[in-house]
Amino acid sequence: MLGRRGSLRYLAVPPFLWLILLFVAPLLLAVAISLRPDSGPINFSRPWQLSTLQYQTIIDSPSWLRLLLVSAGMAFIVATVATLLAYPIAYFLAFRARERAGLYLVLLLVPSTASFLLRVMAWKLLLGSDGAINSFLIWIGVIREPIGLLLYSQAAVILTLIYVWIPFAALPIYAALQRVNRSHLEAAADLGSGPWTRFLRVTVPLSLPGVLATFFMVFIPTVGEYVTPSLVGGTGGIMFGNLIQDFFTRAGNWSLGSAMAVIMLALTLVLVAIALRVVNLRRALA
Amino acid sequence: MPTHLSRARTLVAVLMTSAVVLAGCSAPSLSVLEWSGYDKVDFWTDFHTASPNTKVKFEFGSSDADILGKFEAGYGSTDIVHFYTGWQQFYVDEGLVQPIDTSKLKNWDKVPDSFKKMGQINGKQYFLPWDWGFTSILYNTDKVKTPITSWSALFDPAYAGHISMWDDGPGAVTVSAYIHGWDETKITPDQLATIEKEWTAQKPLNKTYWVSEFPDLCNGIASGDVWVAYDWQGCYAQTLYDGKVPVAYANPKEGRNSWVGLYGISSKTSNYELALQFLDDKLATLSCTNAVTQFYYGCANQDVMKAVTDPVLIKAFSLDDPAILQHTNFTPLVTSAQRTAWTEMWARVKAATP
Amino acid sequence: MTIASPVRRRSSIGIGNTRLPLGPAYAVMLVLLYLPIVLLAVFSITANTSLSFPLKNFTLAWYGDALADSSILDAARNSLVVGTAAATAATALAFAVSLAVLRFRFRGRQLLLGLSAAPLVVPFVVLGVALFLGFNLLGIPRSLLTVAAGHSVVALPYAALILLARMVGLDPALEDAAMDLGATYPTTLRRVILPLLGPSLISAWLTSFIVSFDEVALANFLAGGDPTFPVYLYGELRFAQRLPVLIAMAVMLMVATMLLTLLANRLRSSRD
Repeated sequence: MLGRRGSLRYLAVPPFLWLILLFVAPLLLAVAISLRPDSGPINFSRPWQLSTLQYQTIIDSPSWLRLLLVSAGMAFIVATVATLLAYPIAYFLAFRARERAGLYLVLLLVPSTASFLLRVMAWKLLLGSDGAINSFLIWIGVIREPIGLLLYSQAAVILTLIYVWIPFAALPIYAALQRVNRSHLEAAADLGSGPWTRFLRVTVPLSLPGVLATFFMVFIPTVGEYVTPSLVGGTGGIMFGNLIQDFFTRAGNWSLGSAMAVIMLALTLVLVAIALRVVNLRRALA
Repeated sequence: MPTHLSRARTLVAVLMTSAVVLAGCSAPSLSVLEWSGYDKVDFWTDFHTASPNTKVKFEFGSSDADILGKFEAGYGSTDIVHFYTGWQQFYVDEGLVQPIDTSKLKNWDKVPDSFKKMGQINGKQYFLPWDWGFTSILYNTDKVKTPITSWSALFDPAYAGHISMWDDGPGAVTVSAYIHGWDETKITPDQLATIEKEWTAQKPLNKTYWVSEFPDLCNGIASGDVWVAYDWQGCYAQTLYDGKVPVAYANPKEGRNSWVGLYGISSKTSNYELALQFLDDKLATLSCTNAVTQFYYGCANQDVMKAVTDPVLIKAFSLDDPAILQHTNFTPLVTSAQRTAWTEMWARVKAATP
Repeated sequence: MTIASPVRRRSSIGIGNTRLPLGPAYAVMLVLLYLPIVLLAVFSITANTSLSFPLKNFTLAWYGDALADSSILDAARNSLVVGTAAATAATALAFAVSLAVLRFRFRGRQLLLGLSAAPLVVPFVVLGVALFLGFNLLGIPRSLLTVAAGHSVVALPYAALILLARMVGLDPALEDAAMDLGATYPTTLRRVILPLLGPSLISAWLTSFIVSFDEVALANFLAGGDPTFPVYLYGELRFAQRLPVLIAMAVMLMVATMLLTLLANRLRSSRD
């Protein structure tokens, strides 16, 4: 009979192995590549030189580091707004939907299975200079020239990212909200709290692990986002991830691309560590 | 759950082994490193008809640098590679390709000499030219009243917010070299610094940097967001076919640019004869014609180009202007160090706040 | 402390009984999400070959073409296979991680948690290149299997975050009670924990599936000769005439995914 203690190795070992083989090892390889002085293609038959040339190039390009900070700032805005807007959706799923929660959840996520590229093309139809929204606003006389901001701008990138993330952001919050039940709120009511107080002092703290999970789930990958900026960002909406993508796929400079990714990783980890210190996640998870 | 997991692991191991085994013993096969879209059967249909049992597998790259990187890192696993002019020297220097035995090609005499020369390095025919085209400026004649006569139109404040440049550092350097009359192959660091400053200043005029012609740029032209763009003739033909937006393709005084797509055979391939046949069949009438009519790119088979009767395509390739090639600049060979400098320059342009 | 009448008390502290318009908020989100889908669906049944108005005549030909086109069907099938494999692996691993981290104390607990979340920080393209080089060094040929392996890694953090958030609120006493009654740990997991996790498992699986389904950067490096649907789509978009067929296929895939997950949801709730 397999007891609880005996099951631990089956639970902990497979993920460890999987991640070490398919994540840690490749990551170390990427760091190794970043220490090459050669900006050209990788050829394993050649001797491997170690050099910090790529990192030097990055330090010599302050505009790249500034772009990284700007991208982190954009990611912060996206994560904060998406988490805030997702909360009511998650609340609705957890407490109003009840038995139908599964159905409503599926309905919320399914549009994301249609190709992002095609969905953005459809949105561009509505948001472009000749698009439906601009045409309508000009027709009713609110504006005289098409609004350029809706498309090909930094604002367009932030709005699009928030829009794309909300369905996913609702999920960890919804999962955490399922912890709240009637007895918690009844006890609070018995002690004399009104509905808003009960929400702020019972529901929100209980859902905090989910809120934090959501915030980081959105923030971290958005720092390195490149697809949305390339589709709707135009000239001014470029993010750090675009530079990394460019160096890998357009310039074939895997060494510099890896170095930039390492820098981005370092900055993100620092930001996350600071945030965790501020929030003290360990207490929330215990 | 634990048994479920261990069963899953065994299944994965079995699948992986069988995948490796299956990969080894199969019918004759060719592996081609190609560009997205070129894997379509129409572009190698003659080979498909002649050798229906051969399995042709395609892997994709998204830029010349990407293709070179994948080809070199995966050296030995790909038989054929497709890239564009300017990169020939790298493949030969690294010993990645072997000469093409043109005596075995049935369609070789249909290729013009100037194209054949594109694929020659040190006198040996390493590459087979297949597709080609121009680079110039595509512009909306409704919004741009005076015809464009110079590459400097891409920097013209009159079109502010409606210009679209290709997202490519070397491409930007080429344009600046044309405008200033500099030699593309001999750009000095001072010249590069000037180029970086000019393109950074151009940013507020630029709506977006396009990556792929279709759908990026063509949709931009069709929607009216983009009036003036650096473009190959693909969107020119597409917009003419659509018939909604009136466009023209400039003949700048500095001259258009022209590029040629080249195929090479890996020096490590075990399917040399098969690869040769594949390339020969690509130059055959049907495959070549499909490239012209579906991609709106030129094909190296002269007979096919002479047989083009579609007025849109004649316009797109300037087939009615035999003098066009006189003032066309073909993409030259450039060193790896230059490319690195140019791509880093472009990354700084993109990151800059003007 | 006064005891108010039971009826009034029930309604005044009911969960979710706020006057805030939660339902409309959900509905607005749904409308915004489905707006582009509806647009795409409209274009998939008209004769337009480009996304522009005016609309041409109604036709179902594109769907017929899509179902008859073997290359589109292959790409769609590849994506479904890869997505299912990656999502299942990611969800299973995420479940194991959540249990291990929340129910056990062992050395390396924090490390496992951190490692499971870490793929979020690494751009897909970096992992793609590194796995490409790694598989090459080991002589493993690139195939749908390598794509699925890569996808399972990048999807894992999403599945883990969702399951962790749910499991934090699950009372360990439930498992203890089941085991006190004589169940082995695996049985406890299967009959007590899994049903309770229900919708979260579906969310985790579906999110992982979506991460894999539309992913291009990894697939570009790790797919061998068989393209996944987004890779195929990107290549085919070069041909303007192909756009409507591609849209038709994308709509069909979305509807298929929706039906499959609704079915899974129905099965899960009917088993309770």
